[in-house]
Amino acid sequence: MSVSASAECDSAIRALAAERHLPESHLARWLAFDTASRAALLDVARRLRMRTGQLVASIDLLDEIAARDKLTVAAILSENQIRRVLMRGGSTPDRSRALVEELRARRFPTLRAATARLNAEIATLDLPRSVTMLLPRNLASDVLTIQIRTAGIEDFERAMRALAGKRDAIARIIALLGGDDCTSGGNDEF
Amino acid sequence: MSFELDSVMVEESERHCALAEQVASALAPSIPIIYTADARGAARPENVADPFAAGKRRLVIARRNSPFLMGCPAGSARFACCGYLVLILASNCPMDCSYCFLQEFVADNPAFQVYSNYADSFEELDRLIHSAPERHFRVGTGELADSLAFDTLTRLSCDLIEFFQTRENLTLELKTKTDEIDNLLKLDPRGRVLVSWTLSPDAVWRSSEHRTAAPSARITAARAVLDAGYKVAFHFDPVIAYPGADRDYTRLIDDLLDILAPHEIAFFSLGGLRMTPTLKSAARRRFPSDPMLLGEEVAASDGRLRTFTPRRLALYRLIADKFARAGVKAPAYLCMEPASIHERVFGSAPPRSALLGNRLASA
Repeated sequence: MSVSASAECDSAIRALAAERHLPESHLARWLAFDTASRAALLDVARRLRMRTGQLVASIDLLDEIAARDKLTVAAILSENQIRRVLMRGGSTPDRSRALVEELRARRFPTLRAATARLNAEIATLDLPRSVTMLLPRNLASDVLTIQIRTAGIEDFERAMRALAGKRDAIARIIALLGGDDCTSGGNDEF
Repeated sequence: MSFELDSVMVEESERHCALAEQVASALAPSIPIIYTADARGAARPENVADPFAAGKRRLVIARRNSPFLMGCPAGSARFACCGYLVLILASNCPMDCSYCFLQEFVADNPAFQVYSNYADSFEELDRLIHSAPERHFRVGTGELADSLAFDTLTRLSCDLIEFFQTRENLTLELKTKTDEIDNLLKLDPRGRVLVSWTLSPDAVWRSSEHRTAAPSARITAARAVLDAGYKVAFHFDPVIAYPGADRDYTRLIDDLLDILAPHEIAFFSLGGLRMTPTLKSAARRRFPSDPMLLGEEVAASDGRLRTFTPRRLALYRLIADKFARAGVKAPAYLCMEPASIHERVFGSAPPRSALLGNRLASA
């Protein structure tokens, strides 16, 4: 990119940041990316019409992935997995949300694998629709929340019987939340 | 090991105090000593890219006007605490660990301060003893400073050990990442002094614990003070969940148990890497390429970023189980974790803080 093109890109980033009320600290971090990376994120932000929160999250995630994996932001945004999200159909808000989710998964691979495993265990319980099992957000605690929605005592009793019948499987999920089987096998892969 | 200093600032009123005279006599002649009415103000680094780092090379000797003794600042009703009491004889640290909470806690106080009136703390300790003669307290100097950094210069440990030697219901904990133990080896602690080391795998040391002694040097120093009559303990804190951490923590414990027998360890503690968002920003700004700051930390209910729970607990259990299998029967605790996590890791509810404090103090 020529000097004038680079200056033009920076000026467009500043304009977009002003329009979106992007915090100064995040604008500074965006402008601290290498030239190609600044331009790549600007292109994505424009194409997906990213909102302020999405831009803030993307800058945080891209900055940390780049530092951890010793890659440029431009290289990350050109990875197949990310490009698939950018190129797929759907509304721009949906694609924008999906991009942040994909970046989050890229940043937290072991957390994603652990969450997927727990969700798979919950799915196999085959509980009545009135019972919901909620994992702690980002697995930030070891507490499993079990919700029962009931409009009558029969519903409630049915839910309780179903839960009692799944006692061992639920115990297994609680054990997984407490770190059973969460050794470095997955963690070493990234 | 020794740490480099750019200058020493002494408050004019303290020019003739024992600490200032001790430091002046031990200091290399090339390091200037500046006597000034406002040593803290004079030490404040200006026009430097990293004032916090610059402050670590400036030693300030000044009076402390606040109490010296306090409850551990990490304590909270939401955590199962260890009953540790903190004696603040110094603040800041010449070492520079990328994850260190001092980057937030003393961000506006960028110099290594040692308090000239530290002997006043002994009166506070005596009042504590008289207030609860049936209890046994563990009192440490390693919370806002490393207990032994600069000890060859200040010789604080000598006065401290002399005081604690004769207090039956007090145990002094000197917590360090150095191998600066020369003064300790000349003294008899009479069973009242425990030296503890924070231990991390080599990968963490190389990446994040700048200017500290290597883990192997810390273990060697532990052996030496043990042989000189001190008790020893180890803090695996922060435990960091990086790729390869399981293997590295296992090796670290093997290395430790090659040098120390299981019964020679007074206690050990575990604590996960935890950072407030402000601390993380400061740490990332100062150490942008440290991979240890880029693990899978998520916001916990207290607002701190911690490794997500199953992974963190798996690492705690790996370390606790490794010690148990090796025959280490010493008490153990978790720092800044709730009782439920303690129960998951050690298989039983934690004792009350005061009881655990007693147990650790007399371990």
